[in-house]
This record gives sequence, C-alpha cells and structure tokens, in this order.
Amino acid sequence: MLLLTIELIFFGLYGRRFLTADNGVNIIRHSVEIGMLALVMLPVILTGGIDLSVGSLLGLCAVLFGKLWRDVGVAWPIAAVGSVVVGLTGGGLNAVLITRLRLPPLIVTLSTYSLFRGLAEAITQGTDAFTGFPESFLFIGTGEWGGLPAQAWLLLMTGLGIALLIHQTTWGRSIRAIGFSAEGAEYAGLPVQRRVACAYCLAGAMAGLAALTYTARFGTAKADAGAGYELAAITAVVLGGASIFGGRGSVAGTVLGVAVLGVLGNGLTRLPATLSTASELSGIVTGLLLLASLALPRLPGMLITSTATACERPRSTS
Amino acid sequence: MTSPLLQLSGIKKAFGAVTALNSVSFDLRPGEVHALLGGNGAGKSTLIKVITGAHMPDAGTVAVGGHPISRLTPAIARSLGIACIYQQPALFPDLTVTENIGLRLESTSPFRRVRHSERRRVATSLLRQVGAGFTGETAVYDLSMPQQQLVEIACAIGAGAKILIMDEPTASLTQPEQELLFGVVDDLRRNGSGIIYISHRLEEIFQIANRVTVLRDGESVVTRELVRTSGPDGTSICQGFDEADLIRWMVGRSVERTPIAIPPASAPNRLTVHALGCDVSGVRNVTFDIRAGEIVGLTGLVGAGRTELARMLFGLTPADTGEIRLDGVPVTISSPAAAVALGIGYLPEDRRRHGIILDLPVAQNISMSVQSRIFPMGWLRPDAEKTLAEQYIRRLDIKTAGSGAEASTLSGGNQQKVAMARWLATNPKVLILDEPTQGVDVGAKSEIHQHIRSLVDEGLAVLLISSELAEILALSHRIGVMRLGTLTAMFDGQPSAAQLMRAALGNQEPGDQPC
Repeated sequence: MLLLTIELIFFGLYGRRFLTADNGVNIIRHSVEIGMLALVMLPVILTGGIDLSVGSLLGLCAVLFGKLWRDVGVAWPIAAVGSVVVGLTGGGLNAVLITRLRLPPLIVTLSTYSLFRGLAEAITQGTDAFTGFPESFLFIGTGEWGGLPAQAWLLLMTGLGIALLIHQTTWGRSIRAIGFSAEGAEYAGLPVQRRVACAYCLAGAMAGLAALTYTARFGTAKADAGAGYELAAITAVVLGGASIFGGRGSVAGTVLGVAVLGVLGNGLTRLPATLSTASELSGIVTGLLLLASLALPRLPGMLITSTATACERPRSTS
Repeated sequence: MTSPLLQLSGIKKAFGAVTALNSVSFDLRPGEVHALLGGNGAGKSTLIKVITGAHMPDAGTVAVGGHPISRLTPAIARSLGIACIYQQPALFPDLTVTENIGLRLESTSPFRRVRHSERRRVATSLLRQVGAGFTGETAVYDLSMPQQQLVEIACAIGAGAKILIMDEPTASLTQPEQELLFGVVDDLRRNGSGIIYISHRLEEIFQIANRVTVLRDGESVVTRELVRTSGPDGTSICQGFDEADLIRWMVGRSVERTPIAIPPASAPNRLTVHALGCDVSGVRNVTFDIRAGEIVGLTGLVGAGRTELARMLFGLTPADTGEIRLDGVPVTISSPAAAVALGIGYLPEDRRRHGIILDLPVAQNISMSVQSRIFPMGWLRPDAEKTLAEQYIRRLDIKTAGSGAEASTLSGGNQQKVAMARWLATNPKVLILDEPTQGVDVGAKSEIHQHIRSLVDEGLAVLLISSELAEILALSHRIGVMRLGTLTAMFDGQPSAAQLMRAALGNQEPGDQPC
C-alpha cells in the first residue's frame, strides 16, 4: 500500500500525462492478464507450490483459440470455451504429475513451461499468427463498458471469485493448512492431494481465460503470447505479502502487488528523458523492490541473532 | 586407584516442563563395560546426549579423566576421546571404508593434500585391530550393518577414544556377528578403554558387563557390580542379582491402579482387527479387538511397531494383508480422509509436526476434521466454528488467549488438548491415542488422563499407545504388548509392570497369556 502511494506520487510529479483517466484505463488494460494469473498463482503459492507454466499455457491457449476460430471455423464464443478447456487440461496435467506422481511442482511446471510454449510454436510453425477477429470479440480487449475497460470487469469478477474461494470456503482453509504443514493437514484427514490438484487446475483454466483477453487486446494470437507473465504473476503475489513457503497471503495483497507492478511499468515509460532511460529501468526496479520486500522483514531478526552468537562465542572456550 | 574415565554427578536436565534427567550419577572406570539399562523414556538417550555434549545439563558436573568440564560441546567431547557408536552407523555409503575413515580422522580444513598412502596405512591397521574381515577398498554400500559398526569402532579407536558409547549395538546382529563384536569389546576393555553399553537384551548384560546402572524416570536407581565366578563347567556365573531383579529395578515400585468401570462383556466389538500386516511398515499378523467403552493399552519398546500399527488403522500406510472390521462391518482404510469418514481418529505421537498446525488459530485446528459437518457446502461459518471451539476450550479447560490465538502460542499440554479436541469434535467411534502425554507437564497430564477415562463413558473404543507403563496400567482395561512388529501378548486381568516389561523384552513366562 505504502509502495503504491509512493509510486503514484512519484510518477504523478515527474511523469508526463501520468495522472490522467486515459492512463488509468491504460494501466488497468495492461494489468488484466497478469492480474488474473497472479490471482490464481496465489492459491498455488498458498499450498507451498509454484506454477511456472501459466504464461506458456496462455500462449498455447491463445494459439489454439485462433486455430479453432479460423481453421476449424467455429464461432468465437465456442472457441473461447475451447481455450478455457485447453487451459484446464494443461493445469490438470500439472496437477496429475504433482499430486499423483508426487513430483516437485518447480520441476513439473518448469517442464510444462517448455512443453506448452513448444506446442504453441509447433502449431504455428513459429510464424503463423491469427488475426482478423470479429469486433464482438475484440471488444473484450479494447472496448469500454460502464466507464471501465471491458476486461477490467472480467478481472473484477475473477478477483471476487478467488477472494471468496480463498477466504470464505473450506477449500481456501485447507490449502493454507497444507501450505503451513502438508503432513499436519494429512493427519487431520484432509484430502491433501485433491485440494492441491484443484489449485493447479484453476491456474490452468485461468490461463485459458487470460489468453482470450490477451488476444482481444492485441488483436492477434501468436505463439509468444504471455511470455514471462508467470514470473510477473509470482512477483506480484510475493510483493503482496504472500509467503513463498505457503500458508500466508491474501487476495487484497496480491491485487496491490499487481497494481504496484502495473503502475511501475507504465510510470517508467512516462518519465521525462532527463530522469531516466525509460523502460529499461523497469527490470532493475522490479528486482530491487522484490528483494527489498523479502529482505526488510528479516533484517531485524538477523541483527539480533548475529549479535547473540557474537556474545556467545567468547564463552565457549573454557 | 586410578581416577574414573568419566564421572557424572547430580546431572539434571529438563525440556520445558518435562524433567528428563533428575539427579543422575554415573561413572566409568578404565577397562570396564558399564551397562546402562532403563525402559523407554527413562532418560538413557538424554544422558548419552549430555555425555557427547549434544545437551547442556541444567545442573550437575561432568568430569573426564578427573578434570571437571564446565561446558561440554560435541567438539570438546570428541577431543576428550568420547565417541558414540549408534545403532545406525552414519557413514557415507558411496565411499570406500578407507575414505570414510580418512574423512573422520583427518583434518577438516577445506584445502589440503590427501596423502593416500598414509590414509591407506592408517585404515588398514585400524581394520586389523577391530578384526574386520574386509579391506579398506570395500565400498561401505557393500557392507552389512555389523561390518559398518566395525568401521565406526575403527574410527573411534583411530580418534583415540577412551570412552566408547555403544547404543544397542547388537539390535540388528546375528549370533556370530554378535560374538565378533563382543571380541572387539573385550580387546578395547583390555586396552584400558571404558565402554558404556546400552542394550535391551538382558542376557547380553550378564555376558559382557562389569557393572550395571539402571535408570528410571530420569534417576539412577541402582548401580551394581557384576561378580563373575567360573563355574565347574568353565562358564562364568554371575552373582548378586538376576534378570528378575533388573526388571524390578527398571519398573520400580508397583503402580497403583485407579479402578475404572469395566465395560460389560456384552458390549459389542467396535473395532476388530484380524491378521493385519503391512510390508512397508514391518508390522505383521496383528489380531485384536476393542469393545465399545473399552480402553486397550498398547505398549512395547521403541521400534516394536506400535505407531506403525496406528498408522495402518488411520490409513497413513494402508494395510496390505488382513482385515479390519468396524462395528462388525469389514472396511478398507486407504487414506486418513477415509478413516475420518469412518469415525476413526488418531492423535499422533509428534504433536508439533502432525498433531496440530502451529501457525493456525486454535479454532481452525479444532474444526479441521469436521469441516464438512460444520461448514455445509464448504462455506465458512465463523460463528459456528467459534461456538464449537469454545465448547471444547471449556470442556478440556484449554488455556488460551482465545479461540483465535495461534496454536503456537499455547503451552505443550494445551496444544495437546487442542489436538484432542479436534478428534472429540468428530464424535469418533474409535480413537487411537499415541503417547498422549509425551512432553506434557504433570498437571496437564493428569487432566488428559481424566478426559481419556471419561471418553469411554460415551461408548468410544480407545487404543492407547504409551511407553509409560504407569500410564498404560492406570488407564487400560486390557493391555497388548508389541514386539518386533507383531502383537505378542494381550493381558486381560491386571498384569504387573514386570510382566509387561518381560513381554516387551521378549522374556515370556509360562504364566503370560500368548496372543
């Protein structure tokens, strides 16, 4: 929250046309997909896991959506359902590998991260791009409704849905318990593997949905859609105060994390040339922010332990 | 007389509210084997850890070779010539014996030249000393357990250890291997080393020890000299005391039983277990039943398979042979979730890891296994949860700042009550309690005992696992004893603690009822 306020003030003072309604809309538009992915990354991280494959899966879903619409010739709403189904299947593959074969999530999703992107590239031969989508579809990515970008409503609904799931249901309860202590949750008789599987399936399905807003925003579906989004999503979740070891984290925090990233990315491009070399700084600032958010809470504790051991040492030789 | 190698006096050690050692005195002379005996939880392991420097005693003095040591650390203990040979040798399996010995004995600075010929020479001579029938080039991976123990002993000798602790060294040995080990022990003794020998096999004690110290409830109860005289046929005869005396010292005075209502013989069987076994957990052919309103105690030495049996009944390691019936109906228990659905609860041994989730509030811990009942359709109802939690906080008198306090803020005894509350809330048919009062202070312990007693009034079948004979005797209607992965005895009447200890150690007497 503090970070976001500082950003807004800083860019408000120095940015060109930063605090305008137009730019607000712009920021939201660009943050929707990362926001959606961050919202489903949160439950995965709450279980103590991680999903590196969502960005690639977004690309695969986008390409298959284009394929269904253009080459198979189905109406776009049906192709859209297809995209979500593909996402769900991809997430299901992660879930099976992680919960049935008990493989580590990091390795499983690192593999499917390559696999999904590879499939997307194979389908398009690396060059094919799907364009010329109907206006009614492009509206999702470019239109406005009720004073907000159309896709913002999707994000809002997703956010509400995930917030209810995580904070108001036994499922949310369970995945936190699992994140704190998977063994403890198992000893309590919770169906640990099923609950964890749900988190990865949800992440996959959301990648399918995000593929739609992404495609509609750019008007093209290409194999490189959503590249790097998984890392942005993880960054947002961790910036939002979630513990990468599981158990701790909230939807509100994640939403703030997404906002901080979105404002930062946009604000840096709007700084006058005298202040910065523009967007190249974004990576540096993001990295430093993330490190600071992780390290700062630990610093006081570290200082205490190091002084304690320093005091103890002289006494040990007697 | 030469000063003793090791002299401990008035050693005290407490963990939180639990006293592990309460005034223990122990000494070790050069050239003797001093056996250390005691039941589970008598304080043997803690005492060993004090000697090896792993634990700092709260009070008392440690003297090595006549010099008092004010602050013993593992490194100082090693440099004073104290070495411990554990039941499970800690060697690197992929390296050769020579490499393992080298790693133990040579300097630990990260960059130095390894002088291979020197290393080989040292290893070979050490292996010859312990009478090893294998060369230093053998990979540890290819050695049997006793051979690995020989390597450990070789390391200890090489390090110049004068005080050798052997923790159940023969637990996994065959007879000839045991003879070999005893030969090595004899050699060490002749060379002036002192050996602290821990074993549950009483006949070994008479065979090898010079003195015996019995620990009970963290106190050294008795230290006796074993006087050996050669019998007419050349075998040595020990005088002064026999196995029965040892068992009596280990159990202590007879434990008073508070009578508890015995369930009518007509009470139906709640849980029936027939020929249950599981390869992975090493439990085989277990048969018993528990009636409604009955507490069946289960005891045995550490590693006898009690917890493994509980894990099978709770679906954590599902059984692969045998049959489980619940209220007469055959059931398969493939997961803890299935067990909970069937009405089986399990209060695990390791409270902090399994019993509760420390980072979650008390209320969430209590409601965890009844989520589907109090939260219809999976929708949280905080008020219903709070009511449930407060009901059990009152009933079990759990001391907490509130139902919303994190479980980690509670004391051990109250954490255990939270773990119990979780299972009581499920209204179980069968409740398995695994060491329910381990690491719990005296006050909370008697409260927990009362709650366990009151459970059976509600018709529960309770399986009470405990290493503490007094606890088992005070609470159980019937008592089963496990040994080496199977149920070896079931006592119907009121067995004495000595009878239980004999069964656990495997010294069956004709009077005991075999199962």
